[in-house]
Amino acid sequence: MHTGHVISGAGHLMLIGWLLLGGLLTPDPEPFEITEVSVISGADFDAMIAARQSPQSAIEVAQPNAPEVQIETPELGSTPDDVIEQPAPLQTETPPEDAPPEVTELELPPETQVEDTPLDLREPVGDVAVLVPDVAPVAAPRPVERVAPEPVAQPDPEAVPDPVEQEAVVPDTAGETAEQETQEATAPEEATTEIVTEAASAPAASARPPGRRPAAPPRQVAEAVEPVVEAERPARQSENPSTPVNNDDVLAALQAAQEAVAAPSGPPLSAGERDALRVAVAQCWNIGSLSTEALGTTVVIAVKMNQNGTPVAETIRMLSSSGGSNAAAQRVFDSARRAIIRCGARGYDLPQEKFSQWQNIEMTFDPRKMGF
Amino acid sequence: MKQMFLSICAGLTLFLTGPLAAQEPLRIIIDEAIIEPLPVAVPTFQAESAEASQLANELARVVAADLTGTGLFREIPSSAFISTVNDFNAPVQYADWKAINAQALVTGAVNVQGNNVNVKFRLHDVFSGAELGNGLQFSGTTEGWRRMAHKVADAVYARITGEGPYFDSRVVYVSETGPKDDRKKRLAIMDYDGANVQYLTDSNAIVLAPRFSPSGDRVLYTSYESGFPRIYVLDIGSVQRRVLESAEGTMSFAPRFSPSGQTVVYSLTQGGNTDIHSMDINSGQSVRLTNTPAIETAPSYSPDGTRIVFESDRSGTQQLYVMPATGGEAQRISFGEGRYGTPVWSPRGDLVAFTKQNKGRFHIGVMRLDGSQERLLTASFLDEGPTWAPNGRVIMFSRETQGAGGSSTLYSVDISGRNLRPVSTPSGGSDPSWSPLQK
Repeated sequence: MHTGHVISGAGHLMLIGWLLLGGLLTPDPEPFEITEVSVISGADFDAMIAARQSPQSAIEVAQPNAPEVQIETPELGSTPDDVIEQPAPLQTETPPEDAPPEVTELELPPETQVEDTPLDLREPVGDVAVLVPDVAPVAAPRPVERVAPEPVAQPDPEAVPDPVEQEAVVPDTAGETAEQETQEATAPEEATTEIVTEAASAPAASARPPGRRPAAPPRQVAEAVEPVVEAERPARQSENPSTPVNNDDVLAALQAAQEAVAAPSGPPLSAGERDALRVAVAQCWNIGSLSTEALGTTVVIAVKMNQNGTPVAETIRMLSSSGGSNAAAQRVFDSARRAIIRCGARGYDLPQEKFSQWQNIEMTFDPRKMGF
Repeated sequence: MKQMFLSICAGLTLFLTGPLAAQEPLRIIIDEAIIEPLPVAVPTFQAESAEASQLANELARVVAADLTGTGLFREIPSSAFISTVNDFNAPVQYADWKAINAQALVTGAVNVQGNNVNVKFRLHDVFSGAELGNGLQFSGTTEGWRRMAHKVADAVYARITGEGPYFDSRVVYVSETGPKDDRKKRLAIMDYDGANVQYLTDSNAIVLAPRFSPSGDRVLYTSYESGFPRIYVLDIGSVQRRVLESAEGTMSFAPRFSPSGQTVVYSLTQGGNTDIHSMDINSGQSVRLTNTPAIETAPSYSPDGTRIVFESDRSGTQQLYVMPATGGEAQRISFGEGRYGTPVWSPRGDLVAFTKQNKGRFHIGVMRLDGSQERLLTASFLDEGPTWAPNGRVIMFSRETQGAGGSSTLYSVDISGRNLRPVSTPSGGSDPSWSPLQK
């Protein structure tokens, strides 16, 4: 029993002793530091290194004393060079001025004018081959008679066409005091009773050139007719021999009046049509080569036009000028004439039905706005 | 009775239809146009002798260069030609030239016999299908062939534009070589286009502001040969010169001939004050024209010789003034911003060209004599020294570039402000003076 107690007591004493003194026997733990670490890029690192200033050197280095050097000026054994005489600069002799060229006016050679008129294209007569144009002319829209949905009575000739037919209202004159609005009679739009087909309205004769020589050329026929007409006039005059009609002036005046009445006329050009012509000429009027005086000169030019819209070059003439000398006006006229001819070579876009309105044109060319 | 009835009917008919018969013309006003060079064709001139073949081509090239150099013409390249001109007297196929839009056609022929050259030309208005003026011919020597080409071009230019000619003229200027801090200057004379440069002085002394006489045979200029500025008169033909007398201790500069060529107007600095004087070039008698404490210089006569335009800072800033040629009260004509200087009266008398400095930039400009319609034509680091072409349509001046390596170059510009272009010279150039048209 005592043995057990001894062993147990010894064991407990050893345990208590280890707990009290064991810490002295164990080695000290390894020391360590805790620092904050931040991740930076290589570029930042380079910049940081570069920005770091180099350490200042605090070392003072003793400077050695400068050696005493005695410089002895060697005596020159040579004499100064002689002054070299500079040759006088060559002065360019101006050659004598060229003799002014003699100016003489050339004798005009034989007429060098080249006719540049369009070919006179006439109707082929007889067996003449005609080239078919590559592009067929655009056919004019064929007038088609309107067909009424149901038969209608012949309208009053004075009625105005209107979708709604109504009778004319005539103011009542039987003592009514209230005025009534006058209303004109209207009638349905004129219509035909049957459709006229394109074949039915085909021309009687083909436009193609005849395959055989015609029996008689139209001109010969016309010439043959005229004497007949002329022959009838004396016959009519002879119907009343008692009336002496020999006043040629009166007949001539009447004839002139008839011709004047026969001249084409129509509504005036619209503002847009006039502007189109103005712009068309202006875009060819080049004043870039005009003199400063000409740029202050205004000229009025007259020109006759062909029915196809091209100007008749020979009729272009200056009517008047203002603001500059005659020479300056002539330069403006030359430039304007070039513009009219150049841009009108293919014909100005003018309404054919108003030819009488633009067959004679007066253009005022005023370059002052573009001058300097 | 019936006759009377017919007459009345005819009268009534005419009365009623008269307006139709006498149709009023359509009237339009064209007040807009295009501004572009006129297309012109200049085929090689016909060589009427074997020796003339080379000259025929060179003459046509000079004529074309003169015309296109104005900026008013555009040459149609020969590769576009449809027809050729093989005979000077042959009819011209106007339709072929119309097709390539040539509005003017210059045909010519050259004949060389020994040292003699005969040049003839015709100018055609293509769209009118006719000649513009009569043909002309010039006779001269082979050495003077360029002058004959200029004469042809002058005639073409004058007939089409209405301006006076100026191609057959020369320019005297200060030729400059070397860097800015060691620049060598000497007088040189050349054709208006930079050809045929010849030197009139050496580069031992600084020379400034050469000015042609109205007859074109003498040149006034300022030289520092004696150490301070003096005015010299140089005869171009003999290259002989003489100094204009001036009192000791004075400086004379900025000379210019009167239209008569007998009087010289110039600036004289005496006792620290600069005024304008005139001198009879034969007798040496001088007259003081201004008498103010301000600096007054750069005088230039009007074409009629009755007035003088000059620059003065009498108002506190450099401005332009006009006074009678005999002196007297001066009237200020420039009122814009900046400083104005080196005025030159136009040969036509209607404009004054000047140099203007404003906001660090230099300009060449023109204005009317009352100061109105001022128009600046150029703008650069340094533009100065305008001179008028004989026809008053073109101005030549010198432009200096910035920096130590900068150089001075001659330029020309149309008075519209268009066609600014350098004038080709062998070296740098400044202070140009345009001669009158050569006889």
